[in-house]
Amino acid sequence: MAQTKRALSAALAVLLIFSLAACGGGNTQTSGGGSTSDAPKILNIHIDVEAASLRPQIATDGTSFEVIASFLEGLYSIDGAGTPYPCIAESYEMADDGLEYIFKLRDAQWSNGDPVTAHDFVFAWRLAVDPETASEYAYIIDTAGVKNAAEIANGDMAVDSLGISAVDDKTLKIELAFPVPYFLPLMSFPTFYPVNQKFYEECGENFATAPEYLLANGPFKVTSFQQMATSIDLVKNETYYNADQVLIDGLHYQVIKDSQQAMLSYQNGDLHIATLSGEQSENFASDPEYTPIMAGYLWFISPNTEVEGLGNVNLRRAMALSFDKSAIVNNILKDGSIVADFAVPSQFATGPDGKDYRATSATYLSTNKDLAKEYFETAKEELGMDTFSYAMLVEDTESALNVAQFLKAQIEENLPGLTIAIESMPKATRLNRMEGKDYELGLTRWGPDYADPMTYLDLWITGAQNNFGNWTNARYDEIIASAKSGDLAVDPEARWEALKEAEAIIMDEAGIFPIYQKGNAELVKSTVKGIEWHSVGLNRVFKNVTIAD
Amino acid sequence: MAKYIAKRSALAVATLIAIILLLFLLLELMPGSPFNIDKVPFDTRAMIMEHYGLDRPVMERFAKYLANMLKGDFGISYSLSKKTPITALLAIRLPVSIRLGVQAVLLGTIFGLALGMAAAIWHGKAMDTIATVVSVLGVSLPSYVFALTLSYFAGFRFQLAPMLYQASSPIYSSVLPTISLSMFTIATVARFTRTELLEILGSDYMLFAESKGISGAALFFRHALRNALIPIITVLAPLIVALMTGSLVVERIFSIPGIGSLLVSAIQANDYNVIIALSFIYSAMYIFIMLVLDILYGIIDPRIRITKEGE
Repeated sequence: MAQTKRALSAALAVLLIFSLAACGGGNTQTSGGGSTSDAPKILNIHIDVEAASLRPQIATDGTSFEVIASFLEGLYSIDGAGTPYPCIAESYEMADDGLEYIFKLRDAQWSNGDPVTAHDFVFAWRLAVDPETASEYAYIIDTAGVKNAAEIANGDMAVDSLGISAVDDKTLKIELAFPVPYFLPLMSFPTFYPVNQKFYEECGENFATAPEYLLANGPFKVTSFQQMATSIDLVKNETYYNADQVLIDGLHYQVIKDSQQAMLSYQNGDLHIATLSGEQSENFASDPEYTPIMAGYLWFISPNTEVEGLGNVNLRRAMALSFDKSAIVNNILKDGSIVADFAVPSQFATGPDGKDYRATSATYLSTNKDLAKEYFETAKEELGMDTFSYAMLVEDTESALNVAQFLKAQIEENLPGLTIAIESMPKATRLNRMEGKDYELGLTRWGPDYADPMTYLDLWITGAQNNFGNWTNARYDEIIASAKSGDLAVDPEARWEALKEAEAIIMDEAGIFPIYQKGNAELVKSTVKGIEWHSVGLNRVFKNVTIAD
Repeated sequence: MAKYIAKRSALAVATLIAIILLLFLLLELMPGSPFNIDKVPFDTRAMIMEHYGLDRPVMERFAKYLANMLKGDFGISYSLSKKTPITALLAIRLPVSIRLGVQAVLLGTIFGLALGMAAAIWHGKAMDTIATVVSVLGVSLPSYVFALTLSYFAGFRFQLAPMLYQASSPIYSSVLPTISLSMFTIATVARFTRTELLEILGSDYMLFAESKGISGAALFFRHALRNALIPIITVLAPLIVALMTGSLVVERIFSIPGIGSLLVSAIQANDYNVIIALSFIYSAMYIFIMLVLDILYGIIDPRIRITKEGE
């Protein structure tokens, strides 16, 4: 037996050495948040989900948009303050009625040396609305007012009838069905970016699936990418028309889904920018590299006005005034979110006066529990009812459920006789139920598509797809119709004031109960400057970034 | 024997078809669709559903899917990686999961055997206690606990190995996930090896062999370990499939582009084709391994075959 043990000990030692050797090897490779003066300046960026597509007309998610905007540019873009500035366009002329735009294009190049022409825009926009492309964002071309976009997308007209044409290589003509005051900022949306037709056709099905099937006309070009890749690399595009202004050598996107791992990678120096989860946000709030960012998302309760009781304006007002919004943002969310006493969020739309929409607008439905009780008593009298019971649909995320529990407790405490049952479910189910009007109260949200209050206000016109609660007001509908395509559409100042009036109407009638505007937070290394954050379309823009040694 | 194999194979194929049908029916019951963006107009959503044939009856889609699958076409991803053929996604992601799984199985088996042997040889001593503690921890703690612990200490604090997977150095950057994933295998194999070896080492035929003058390595490896391996292989088979088809959580923690994390994302995004293809592959691998085991048992022990044929 002693011999057996000796033999076994030797065997074990050999096995252990063999196993450790199998694990070892390789060289440490860090992407390096801290760079030296000689090393290339690569910005290391955390993303928490893979890019779904780098095809500008197919992509729908924020990550894809952000990466696409790093290597492609459209006619116009928006700066950090939300002001549009020309990119591939050099200048433009707009017809007096706002129904036609003529863009002159600058001398820009694709990364294969081809010139960027007006034909590239015509091809790309037609691609977006072509039913064969099956683009979910085809509707954004119609949002921009481009003539026949909706009809083509629905298969009722030929693709070449779209209101866009190339006058010559450097002149692009766009015809609109109705004037769109936010047309220029919309051009920063990736669906409107150009595509080189010759290259697209050469690539066929492979288009935008690997670096060799991607062309750039923007500040960077893709050097490493495959579908659902967990990292994407881009280097400075030397053929970019403004290459002199690009002061870093490239971008490295790293997918890290686990928020704890992202923080460790940031602290390790592997990342320059990391997105904080809601829970982490509180812990890092005093860190000098903590960067709060206001997102455009508005969270609100949508009451179904066709349900007994909820059609009564005073009951809706009572409910909208009865919960403590500051407790929600300060004690529950703690992620930089702010109280929403409005239907149109702050910091995403700039008016003709150059000021943020909220800076010159009133606030509405601020928490007022005493007033809520008064409205509640009136409602009870008007309805001849003493008790009310409603179910509230809530998606099954932790933060939504926490907020819903608090809302329930507050409303029930402040409006005795009114009870709320929470129905938790996946977001898709909640949306299905709300779209089908199969609900009483719904905790929901909306994010902006473009930098104009209309992206919110046209949600609640009579019969609109996302007017889940069927709230209706004739004056409101009239204002929105005129501001979208009537007289107000060509009078920016009057339109701006009219939009404020519309907001006052829906808030006065408590057509929705606003709760909070979502805040996000990121950690950004102090050596990094020049990142632009937007609450619309492109979340982050990196072309003006500098990295100090 | 040929009849037995044919019968088992036919049953395996029927099971797979039943699984796909069940998946189709379950997905039909799921709320929403892969095109769930609330901003997209109803008309556009309907057009897109029609474009991809998702407006057709479920049995028609099932039949078409099966026909395409026989040609090696699993369809395209609708939302996770828009318009990308599933085969392209699998070509990228499956090898990563399989490689990681193989690494974890190798490491787990080697260490598990070593630990189990040590515990059996030094039965009742400190080594046995260590092996028991490791086994209990390995079996009872989920792999993500090891993943997070290793990531923090070995990756972050002491910088012994990368915290994230890097395609440019796939072996080195997968050291920590491999260890995390292998813990369950180490524990399971160690436990079984110890138990089996203890039983065999104390058996009469070992005493007989020793009395015949066989000793040392020959006695241990040829007579004891060899006999102990048979039940261990049975335990390893499902573990191999589980490890090779990707780990949902470990892949997420170490940012590994495998099929485990892909399946989670697909379910969250209602990406029908990805869910079906990955579930199919998982089932097919599992059924295949079980089929091979069944056949092997039949060869090793004819009584099994006779019993099953007699049923």
